[in-house]
Amino acid sequence: MLFNSLEYFIFLPVVFFLYWTVFKKHLKAQNALILLASYIFYGMWDWRFLSLILLSTVVDYTTGLNIYASQGFKTRKLWLWASITFNIGLLGFFKYYNFFVDSWIDLTSVFGYHLKSTWTLKVILPVGISFYTFQTMSYSFDVYYRKIKPTKDFLAFATYVSFFPQLVAGPIERASNLLPQIAKKRNFKYNQIVEGLKLILWGLFKKVALADAVAPIVDDVFANYSSYPASTLILGVIMFSFQIYCDFSGYSDIAIGSAKLFGIELMSNFKFPYFSRNIGEFWQRWHISLSTWFKSYLYIPLGGSRVATSKVIRNVFIIFIVSGFWHGANWTFIFWGGLHAAAFTPVLLLKRNRAYKNSTIGGDTFFTTLKEITAALVTFSVVSFSWIFFRSNSLRDSFQFINRIFEQFYFEPYFHVKGYRMIDYYILIIVFILYEFRIRKDERNPIPFKSKYVRFITYTILIFMMLLFYDDNTDRSFIYFQF
Amino acid sequence: MKKIIIKLIIYIPLVLLGLEILIRTFNLTKDYPIRYVDEMGVEKWLPNQHGVSVTGIRRQNASEFRINNSGFNSYREYTPSKETFEIALVGDSFIEGFHQNYYNSIGKKIENKLNGIQVYEYGYAGYDLADELHLIHQYQDAFNLIDLVFISLEFETDLTRPNYTILGERMKLESPLYKALRQCKLLVYMQTIGILDAPKSLFSKALSQDKNINIDHPSEEETHSNLEYFENFKKLVNTYGFDKTRYIFLLDAEITPEAFLKYLKNNEFKYVDFSEILNNSKSSTTLLYDMHWNDHGRELIAKLISFYITENK
Repeated sequence: MLFNSLEYFIFLPVVFFLYWTVFKKHLKAQNALILLASYIFYGMWDWRFLSLILLSTVVDYTTGLNIYASQGFKTRKLWLWASITFNIGLLGFFKYYNFFVDSWIDLTSVFGYHLKSTWTLKVILPVGISFYTFQTMSYSFDVYYRKIKPTKDFLAFATYVSFFPQLVAGPIERASNLLPQIAKKRNFKYNQIVEGLKLILWGLFKKVALADAVAPIVDDVFANYSSYPASTLILGVIMFSFQIYCDFSGYSDIAIGSAKLFGIELMSNFKFPYFSRNIGEFWQRWHISLSTWFKSYLYIPLGGSRVATSKVIRNVFIIFIVSGFWHGANWTFIFWGGLHAAAFTPVLLLKRNRAYKNSTIGGDTFFTTLKEITAALVTFSVVSFSWIFFRSNSLRDSFQFINRIFEQFYFEPYFHVKGYRMIDYYILIIVFILYEFRIRKDERNPIPFKSKYVRFITYTILIFMMLLFYDDNTDRSFIYFQF
Repeated sequence: MKKIIIKLIIYIPLVLLGLEILIRTFNLTKDYPIRYVDEMGVEKWLPNQHGVSVTGIRRQNASEFRINNSGFNSYREYTPSKETFEIALVGDSFIEGFHQNYYNSIGKKIENKLNGIQVYEYGYAGYDLADELHLIHQYQDAFNLIDLVFISLEFETDLTRPNYTILGERMKLESPLYKALRQCKLLVYMQTIGILDAPKSLFSKALSQDKNINIDHPSEEETHSNLEYFENFKKLVNTYGFDKTRYIFLLDAEITPEAFLKYLKNNEFKYVDFSEILNNSKSSTTLLYDMHWNDHGRELIAKLISFYITENK
């Protein structure tokens, strides 16, 4: 069930209504309803994979209790490794098995051995597996590090693992944030519900009016890059930068908004990343739930930045490459991660990675300085360049794409594959950037106007823009579902 | 909870009203001419209507239409006489031409190419051979004065029935309910761009489950063999008559079965094949957001017909 589908627009109000009426008085009943709704939500893709979620839930519930109950350090570690092995094993089989087999065959072919690919399997990638396995692992880690006590309430834990707003594409929640909210009584708060509805509308706008609208342009440019000049290729890359941002942050907004409808606050996943003034700031604002996950459970255990410089660089490359690999079983993602590590390392060594931690571009002023605009543009260019690897089907395609930018360095107007006016898209993106700049301080309040008339006009315009840019023939699924 | 429900009850209609105003302000939807069945039993447009036909999102293609006195989209009135040389184009939406300005139609292009000729366009979206031959038959007096009649024919879609009957599906669109719904431009726009497809499909799925009908598979009635189409063709020609000296089919030979083309030739039915001229064109002949012929496509069709007329006049 997609967030931008009719099914969800029937499903969500029904669950919401039951939750705050019939099931209102009993916490367990509310959790049971959410759990059931989550299983229906997920089961509508492929009910067979519900067994994986259930298995993951049982394993991590058990390991959590055992980690806590174990007295010895070794036993605790053993149970933690049991959780890691199970979850990574699940991911490894469903997501990476064929990649490793194919890579091995490619490697042996370099040495003259030509193996037949008889070991590869026709495995379907279960939707959201990368997200919920990481979420359950975070629980085991937090119990292991004694950040939280394990829950004995299996229903609450199962609800935490499968909470439908964030089940298939995050935010990857920490048990320390979500589990206590599930375990205690939620009260109906009018403001929270309104905030949730606003976020859903804003997320839908980003998905429908921007991400889906530019998707045909991006698809065309990346599919036919060999016949386009540099101007079109650069346009395609910029469009993809907005497509992936609006697609994923739109999803996250709908997820956070939907969770708010049930009285639950999820963590922010995006904080206007394209206004970042260096790559360090970008990673504090992009896919926050994943980057903080890697920081907490991989970077810091490896020593973080409190080790020798060479090891710091090693740690940075490890987390970025693993993060790239998390996205998909393809060398393009690994290269993408490596590229970000290379861009991040100098920022870290110059101790500029946290320079903008508590500030936003432009500060409290209405406009920003030329220096900040330049810094943001440079960061955007680096990030956009890396998206070439992320979007291409293979490393060879990525390099040929880049090569063509330099070889065919001339301008030619681009015409939309379906004959639509390109100027509409340029205006839309510029207005979107200006609007995001206006709201840049609070990602959880995208329609911050005090006047109810202005708010009403904004709602109407957002829906109108969705109607104007709605493309019936576009694949409406979210990009991050494939991860 | 109450407060939220009350707010939603207030806000949703207001937002819908706002959208309706915006869509009307920017003229994003098409005008619907009124259709009717005349005293001769021919389904066509109510005479003397003007409007704009809009295709795609953001008013991508907007073209003016003008329904003449005879109930067809054309820049001219139809007054055939023995003194002038007239040709008629009888066909579906490709001839009707709501996707083009009425003053830039195939007929107009033919008139521009050949001096002293009048072209009457009897086009109506959805017409098949039964509609076309029935129309010619009913308007016999007028058609007897027309010198050449080009009848568009697509084998796969135009020969599905052996005789003419008024199609309830099309006329249903003139029911009071549909007329009322069409007054809501927001609804029309949403329907045009495909947003309503999902609820419609969900609704029809629910209905089909009730009736235990699988809508994914065509019913037996929908599956016609070529043989049936042949039989339908023969029946239609026998029922409504066919003047082989003046009537010419306009068809795409590439999508027409070889056996049917052979049959036409053997039985002295004349046809003009436009597949070659369109396929050989270096630039696109159809609209980008629509399958209909674009200006260039219409130019080529006009050229082909003009050439045929010059050769056979």
